[in-house]
Amino acid sequence: MKLNVERIELPNGLIVLLSENRALPAVSISAAVRTGERFVSDEKAGLASLAGKMLDEGTTSRTAHQIASAIESVGGALQTTGGYATTSVSVTALSGDLDQGLELTADLLRNPLFPEDRLQLEVGKRLAEIVARQDEPQIVASEAFNEIIFAGTPQHRPLIGYEQTVAKLTRADLLAYHQRFFVPNNTILALAGDFSVAQTARRIEQLFADWEPTPQLSLPEVPRPQRQQPVTRFINRDKEQVNIYLGHLGIERSHPDYHALRVLDTILGDSPGFTSRIPRVLRDEQGLAYTTYCHLARSAGIDPGRFVAFIGTSPENLEQAVSGLRQQIESVVVAPPTTAEVETARDYLTGSFVFEFETNAQMASFMISAEIHQLGSDYPLRFLSEISRVTADEVWRVAQQHIAPDKLTLVAVGPVEAEENQ
Amino acid sequence: MITFTESTSRTFDITRGVQHSRLPNGLTVLTKEIHQKPVVSSIIWYRVGSRNEEAGLTGQSHFLEHMLFKGTDRLAKGEIDLITLKHGGSNNAFTDTDFTAYYFNFASDRWEVALEIEANRMINNTFAPEEFESEKQVVEEELRIGLDGPWELLDQEVWAAAYRQHPYHNPVIGWLQDLERATRDEMEAYYRQWYHPRNAVLVIAGDIETEKTLQRVHDLFGEIPPGPEPKPMLLTEQPQRGERRVIVKKQTEVERLQIGYHAPQIAHPDAYALQVLDAILGTGRTSRLHQRLEERDQSVTHYSVDYYDRIDPTLFLVRAEVRPDRQTADVERAIYEEIDRCQQSPVSDEELARARQLIRARFILGNEQASSQAITLGYYETIHSYEYLSGFFGKLDAVTADAVQRAAQRYLTADNRTVGWLVNGD
Repeated sequence: MKLNVERIELPNGLIVLLSENRALPAVSISAAVRTGERFVSDEKAGLASLAGKMLDEGTTSRTAHQIASAIESVGGALQTTGGYATTSVSVTALSGDLDQGLELTADLLRNPLFPEDRLQLEVGKRLAEIVARQDEPQIVASEAFNEIIFAGTPQHRPLIGYEQTVAKLTRADLLAYHQRFFVPNNTILALAGDFSVAQTARRIEQLFADWEPTPQLSLPEVPRPQRQQPVTRFINRDKEQVNIYLGHLGIERSHPDYHALRVLDTILGDSPGFTSRIPRVLRDEQGLAYTTYCHLARSAGIDPGRFVAFIGTSPENLEQAVSGLRQQIESVVVAPPTTAEVETARDYLTGSFVFEFETNAQMASFMISAEIHQLGSDYPLRFLSEISRVTADEVWRVAQQHIAPDKLTLVAVGPVEAEENQ
Repeated sequence: MITFTESTSRTFDITRGVQHSRLPNGLTVLTKEIHQKPVVSSIIWYRVGSRNEEAGLTGQSHFLEHMLFKGTDRLAKGEIDLITLKHGGSNNAFTDTDFTAYYFNFASDRWEVALEIEANRMINNTFAPEEFESEKQVVEEELRIGLDGPWELLDQEVWAAAYRQHPYHNPVIGWLQDLERATRDEMEAYYRQWYHPRNAVLVIAGDIETEKTLQRVHDLFGEIPPGPEPKPMLLTEQPQRGERRVIVKKQTEVERLQIGYHAPQIAHPDAYALQVLDAILGTGRTSRLHQRLEERDQSVTHYSVDYYDRIDPTLFLVRAEVRPDRQTADVERAIYEEIDRCQQSPVSDEELARARQLIRARFILGNEQASSQAITLGYYETIHSYEYLSGFFGKLDAVTADAVQRAAQRYLTADNRTVGWLVNGD
């Protein structure tokens, strides 16, 4: 399998990735700036998320309403997001509207104004959203879990930030943040869909070539997370179910064990249907839950992700569910998986890889992630061969190395008595 | 090249290249060759959902969907998932008011295994009693997830109040008490009643050869007996004569509002104008409710307008999540004021053009994958006819500002609405 991707680096450092696909008269544009909450201090928590969201709230030449009209009058969709490690502008549109989409993308990345009135509006909405999130028990549980396992790093925080930090963010914060990180030599632009590569490359040059780079771009050091002492935290909510997270710190995407861990995930708790051990036993055999899963490699990013098992169950099943999860987690550490399990997992991962590039948006996001993680243009082929090489012993080794069954943090949210112990 | 793409975007017709056929036993088959990616999506649809359930037996369609993964005469429990995994594919199923559907997505060199599974479980599901009991717990947990979410309970109460006679009264997942007392034998009888070729639509889209595919369908499904004539669902809802209001109490700091107006079914002459009205009121940041609620009043964190095609008259829904420092009554009043504006004067040409273009472009952009095309085609064939889609954009273009105004006047009235509030009930 080979992907047809044209990679261009403009003199100002902007990386451009183009992949032509004529299946449908549509295009997907995705720009990723390599910045996000990981570069933001705890005192300003939510700044990157807010800045990302507000990119389309007005530029030096367009009001928020003009931006919305431009995209909606042609039926396209525009989304701007400030995430943990990247901030993105994504446009999907019919191919006849590609030029308009590109022009908007350039304008939003380069010239956002974060107008004061729009800022007040968005902050007000976010403060309300922070309250509304308390109604979603799985979010409450997930955030409490992150606070523990990512302590000491920016990843411990919810992306949206906290009431007290978001309320204090100012327009000056947003402008300074934008000025520091939104430069062409920190940005990747990916396009997939129905266009001519040569023509589009020329147009991109016209729109982006005069974007000034910051020659010696210095990015903040992000503290490396350490595996924390396990904590057990029960949070009371008036709900039907208990939402349970169990786990600890995971790995970064560049870790050499990544592929073996993908196989492990598929065997333990991250596969379609209920084939992997945790859903097979806890859902299919014991009927404890509708949703239960576990994975380690999936959340691997620039910074380490999380090893996490989840189950949502009725309160009377709490003990059985937790001990069931623990037992399954231990099972992959104490003994190697069967050869059949490993073969099936490898078949699944290699056979389903084609589905990662089905849509233009998926293709654009794959190209960006391959660029960020320096996977190389031959990665699709290498992925297949890396996965095919993983053996049962290798899976056992990585399970022992990366999973510590006696160091699992447990968070439970629901009709339980509040309690906390280290 | 640019001229070419513009003309294709104007003429994108999802039904182009679809072959419609019917086996002697009544099975409807839609195939569509899409060769851009080496993948195939196959989905089988049964015309049965919560709409066909009787009092005391609600949730049966959805529970049955779960049981179709629990073993047949040839496939042990878990084997369908295992085969899917080994073949590097994905599968799942979904149940709604009007249908139950099962899908597989595979690479095109191995997809036919999906047909073998569907042909087998169409008539040979075994319903082992211990599997039935264990899966019942799983479905009950699924129901509890819904009860714990911020919206599901309110949605359920609004539909239940808006419909008294018609089965859209019932939640798709069923009422907990019905689920708890459901029996294996009732479920098998329900399966025998509804799962057979005459009540099914099979859709296969992707990197296939039509002739070879149809031959394979014939070989695998051709011998299955047609089954009984599907029992028609005859219940209709009486016109509503006056507003209905429901209050739902739950632990929450954020009040939520849902308003449902009785509105017509798929392909009704007024349905197209209501879809345009849906877009004008609720789609995008230029929409009227966005401008009013999020920008001017700044009274909500989130709102939505939903109007879906169903077999029978449905609800045109408006939802809003109210900011903690605002009053739900004010948000409700603002929504009525915006609706009133749509009734008092025609929408502008610009709004009309924008709404049409949004609906058209979102349809095209939403049907990028073979699997999404298979879902769209199968959905319409199951509730109406897939050919509805080929005429859809023409009908949309024919919608006038007058028609939108008349639709607002006719359907979005106080007497025709059911209003639900979710409030804190500590």
